[in-house]
Amino acid sequence: MSAEVSATTDIKPAYPLRHLNKLRWVVLVIVFLMLVLLPFLHLYQTYVAAHAYDLLSAPERRLYDVMEWLTRPFVTDPATDLNAIKGTTWSGSLFGVKLSDPLAVVGQVSAGLDWYWPFVMTALIPVAVTVVFGRVFCGWICPATLIYELNDNLASWLRKVGVPIGRRRLDRRMKYLVLAAGIVLSYITGAVLFAAIYPPAVIGREIYYAVAQQGFGVGAVFFILTLLFDLMLTRRGFCRYVCPGGALYSLLGRFRLFRIRRKVETCNDCAKCNAICQFGLDPLHDDFGQECNNCSACIAVCPTDALKFTVSMRDVPFQGPGHLGRLYRKQAQGSGT
Amino acid sequence: MRRRDFLGKAVFTTAIIGFSALPYGLARLLSPATARPRQNHLRPPGALKDDKAFNAACIGCGLCGEVCPVRAIRFHDRTGGDRSNTPYIDPSIKGCILCGLCMKHCPTDALQETPIRKIDMGVAQIDRVACYPWVDRGICGACVSICPLGEHAIGFKAGNIYRPVVKRGCVGCGLCVEVCPEPSLAIRIVDRSEGTVAKHGIGIRRKRQ
Repeated sequence: MSAEVSATTDIKPAYPLRHLNKLRWVVLVIVFLMLVLLPFLHLYQTYVAAHAYDLLSAPERRLYDVMEWLTRPFVTDPATDLNAIKGTTWSGSLFGVKLSDPLAVVGQVSAGLDWYWPFVMTALIPVAVTVVFGRVFCGWICPATLIYELNDNLASWLRKVGVPIGRRRLDRRMKYLVLAAGIVLSYITGAVLFAAIYPPAVIGREIYYAVAQQGFGVGAVFFILTLLFDLMLTRRGFCRYVCPGGALYSLLGRFRLFRIRRKVETCNDCAKCNAICQFGLDPLHDDFGQECNNCSACIAVCPTDALKFTVSMRDVPFQGPGHLGRLYRKQAQGSGT
Repeated sequence: MRRRDFLGKAVFTTAIIGFSALPYGLARLLSPATARPRQNHLRPPGALKDDKAFNAACIGCGLCGEVCPVRAIRFHDRTGGDRSNTPYIDPSIKGCILCGLCMKHCPTDALQETPIRKIDMGVAQIDRVACYPWVDRGICGACVSICPLGEHAIGFKAGNIYRPVVKRGCVGCGLCVEVCPEPSLAIRIVDRSEGTVAKHGIGIRRKRQ
């Protein structure tokens, strides 16, 4: 197979990292679909537990049949076996392992000012993953990211059509203040306020409310406001400037081990990476920083495969212009002659 | 000039802090604390007794509702203020069956695993001027027959096989409230301190004195 590839010269050598972004989209979509599916499974479980098939209305019966068809290969007793996967990305249990968002732990501890160790330990795995991979939850799992990225694509399209879309830059440190304000306000009010404004928590809850409870709650309104904020003021503004969870993950992932790095030898200074980065980072000048969520969109767009993952505690300082770029050639000529 | 610098910095700092509190303010604006807690809104079994402690411990993940096999657990809506997104059980709609799944799945200390007999959601209180058998308007016994704790929680008054009497073992699951046929709810779940017999009736009060 490699012989074939080298035979046709215009096909570039395989660079598997390019396809990481597609994998990420698959993961995002799966997580989101699971969030939609789980409340329906819950309804199905309640029907099963009540032995109520004969009493169901026609649409409920259709739901029952579909869910039964979906789950039959995996479970023997739906009423109990389906409890293996429950909850949202805010907090849930996965095959007996309870997982919680670190922000939930921070909010709960600041609201009640005491540690409940079993709950604190549920955030251990997410924290460990964040310390190693950085803000990877934001890019790879967060159900809001899927919608925000689609929203950003919509913004790009609107811009192309001619609708003025704001792309203001605010101060990135804003979100750390939001995190601090949330901790203080949680302590003052004695309620976990993060739950009301943290998009993944809001989305998971609203989908559940819409499917299995009385319908969308007020969180949906808040989420639509954040979408408008992103659309009209800044690109991915909520994640970059407001999200307290993003702030926490950024802090935890400051010294992450896996980073994207620019190979200056193959970079041609095309700046596509800067344009694609929705977080407004600067891969072209080696400035990834703690905000990078390792989403690998820049790797996927790079025409010369000049971006790769490295294992390193910190970013390299600016390595100069890319060696395939015009600026580097000029400099080389200038120094050469 | 230095004072002006200082004032400018102070204004800037307050503006920044105000801005960082903005999302929380917005969220609170969208869900103001308007409704007062209703009496028939019970916390799920194993809940922290103090409402403030419960609000501080609950992260609003909705897991308890998602595992409830009878969908008894609902969630406070936007009018709940601090209580928003925290769970409640309205026994007049659906009582708790004491299966214990919510306690098992709750990640926090808001719902703690408690043996059935130790659960304290409240206690059933019978309004003896509204209950049919107590006013000799028929025979019923629905509350006694549905009680999951049976003998320990509710029984009939000695000498009269239809007048229900709540006993000490009642944990306040609210199944009796759900099945009570009397539309004015002759039985309801109240705090343990309020006793198992409603005290508003004039006749009852006279008897006591």
